[in-house]
Amino acid sequence: MSVTTETLHKAGEEPPAAAAPAGRERDRERERKRAARRRAGGWWPFLFLAPWFIGVFGLVIGPMLDSLYLSFTNFDLLTPAQWTGADNYTRMFTEDPNFWQSVRVTLVYVGVSVPLKLALALGVAMLLNRPLRGLGFYRAAFYLPSLLGGAVAVAIMWRQIFGEDGLFNAVLGWFGIEGQDWISSPDTSIYTLILLAVWQFGTPMVIFLAGLKQLPKDVYEAAAIDGAGPFTRFRRITLPLLTPIVFFNVILQIIGSFQTFTPAYVVSNGSGGPIGSTMLYSLYLYKKGFADFQMGYASALAWVLFLVIALFTAVNFIASRYWVHYDD
Amino acid sequence: MGHTISRRNLLRSAGVVAAATTFGSVLTACSGTGAGTTGGDLTMAWWGSDERHTAYQKALKAFTAKNADIKIKPRYSGYDGYFDKFNTQVSGGSAPDLVQMDTALVAAYAKKGVLAPLDEYVGKSLDLTGFSKSLLAAGTVDGKLYGVPSGIGVNIVTINVTGLKELGLTEPDKEWTWEELKSYAAKIYKASGGKIFGVDDGGGSTNQAFDIFAREKGQNLYTADGKLGYTRETLEEWWTYWAEMRKINASAGGAVTSSAHNDLTKNAVVIGKAMITFDSGLNNSGGSITGATLDFVPTPQGGWSGAREGNYVNGGVLLSATKRSSRVADSVKIMSYFAQDEGAIKDMALLRGIPPTDKARALVAPEMTPNDKRASDAAAYVSDRVAKATDALPAPVAPPEGANQITELLFQSNLAIAFGKKSVKAALSEYFDQAESILSA
Repeated sequence: MSVTTETLHKAGEEPPAAAAPAGRERDRERERKRAARRRAGGWWPFLFLAPWFIGVFGLVIGPMLDSLYLSFTNFDLLTPAQWTGADNYTRMFTEDPNFWQSVRVTLVYVGVSVPLKLALALGVAMLLNRPLRGLGFYRAAFYLPSLLGGAVAVAIMWRQIFGEDGLFNAVLGWFGIEGQDWISSPDTSIYTLILLAVWQFGTPMVIFLAGLKQLPKDVYEAAAIDGAGPFTRFRRITLPLLTPIVFFNVILQIIGSFQTFTPAYVVSNGSGGPIGSTMLYSLYLYKKGFADFQMGYASALAWVLFLVIALFTAVNFIASRYWVHYDD
Repeated sequence: MGHTISRRNLLRSAGVVAAATTFGSVLTACSGTGAGTTGGDLTMAWWGSDERHTAYQKALKAFTAKNADIKIKPRYSGYDGYFDKFNTQVSGGSAPDLVQMDTALVAAYAKKGVLAPLDEYVGKSLDLTGFSKSLLAAGTVDGKLYGVPSGIGVNIVTINVTGLKELGLTEPDKEWTWEELKSYAAKIYKASGGKIFGVDDGGGSTNQAFDIFAREKGQNLYTADGKLGYTRETLEEWWTYWAEMRKINASAGGAVTSSAHNDLTKNAVVIGKAMITFDSGLNNSGGSITGATLDFVPTPQGGWSGAREGNYVNGGVLLSATKRSSRVADSVKIMSYFAQDEGAIKDMALLRGIPPTDKARALVAPEMTPNDKRASDAAAYVSDRVAKATDALPAPVAPPEGANQITELLFQSNLAIAFGKKSVKAALSEYFDQAESILSA
């Protein structure tokens, strides 16, 4: 510490005044002050940052701390909160079967949709990473569902498509297969939501595409000369070189799918049904907080979700040491 | 050279100006919303169909024409999310002054101190002439009035007359029993060549069906101290009845029931999968949701010995004032207006239930559609029968907090049986465990 300040002092020290003409000295002085001001930045950069600060403290950190406090209370939205200690947390793990139901549903959702979505995204990105007529159109077309993805309208459309009289059954009908109501059956409803998620593979696809563009061509040429086929090239070159991008996508998609709310809410008419089969964690949390007057409990649920996501991310980062290859 | 404006300087000053204007508008926007909650306009919230929105607005316009000092800002939406939003607004201190309230939730809100008691206004600025005591019970919690009922609600079964005619069937008798419903519904399935079920699944339908069934056995859904009011045997008998109904195709299976959940447009009668429904929403919020001619009959009666009258009259929807509002007196004026003003009564017609007083019913009668007329007659029939019955239980107490979760639990448990995921026995013990833990929370 002392060393640093000392060094700083030295750096800031005025150089010994030279016997220079007074005018030039003044000019130099002014220039120095201006530079110092530039370095310090003055007050106005903070003005530009202020909206961000207000946003982060007012809309993120403040509410987070508030919800942490509320998670130890019995806050019901309408009457003042009372401290109940860890009650919410023990209740969650020991006496709430619906909590475990929503955990099961969410793990299935994340566990199935993320790998499928990433595999599809990578596959399509590789198809689109070659000279092709109308390439721009295909890229846009595949990306489009991602832009629409979170919209309520799309979830409503999904309801129609997979309903008993929906498009999906009509298509099955062409092949003589008799469909069922996929949304309303507890065995299939979660898979319609997974399909909806997989369908929105555009964002990871674009990221994969950007990664693929950067892979060095000469390596492929060398491999081709050595007689490596397409599959070998994919396995031995593309995939290893792309692992940082895969890792990035895995992290983003896992976080995103843990937080999925809108499709489950819309497709099940807010019920998470039939019989809890689409009760994703966020939907359960929402219902507890806003419909059942249990905002304290919902806050506790939110913190558990936060910790679980943090845990998954941490495990991913640790595991990444063994399979992600960086250039160096 | 030093005095010309450099590009950097220009950008710098432009940035400051831009930031200043942004801030200015942010600050004004804030002060704007802040004033909105306590300022001149009285906010009124309701849920409903487009027809109900239009009727409310028309009546409110007439009201403000007579009461120029009260300006009303309406906030309306569908039922979905209505109370989620209300809870958030109450919590954030921006609750509407006057709010359309659900009879199922009024007790929870009253007990949490969200609603203002209205007793001091009754007979003064709140004119409730013609409202029966049993009707006012719908808005009464712990002896105090927290909401003015908009109309008579009775549990009633809706039947598709057009469809029955096509199948060559005559309407069921008004005084039918549960056993007769079973054989009648089975007849529909047979007559339609196995294409149409008789009735939608009532096994998970708390308010429209199980409620009446339990009362016929002398049990209410909830006791006065907020516990479950029926026995395990009653629910077991009920679920077994519906399991049998599904087995003989008198009633639709899980998929039909599940897709109609919270979505009237998928109701079994609306989509043509059944001829009879326990969902009373088909005709009561602005015209009929189907093109069919509808008729309305009472919920079936108990055919066993000792069975009693299970029906009762409740209050449609309520109008309530919020306690923290500074405009309770003005809100009361509006409630009174909707209760007594001829124009308002005609505007609302049957959009908030069968009108609550004799005077109001007489006013509305000439302009009713045929479906409305039959709904109104059926309600009058049921409420007459209730009034004459000597063995009916008193009208149920307002449901305790958590009742909406129990409603959902009953629905999902019955559905689990319908999908073959649980036996009646297993569903029963899980149901009672969970319901008790909800009610004791």
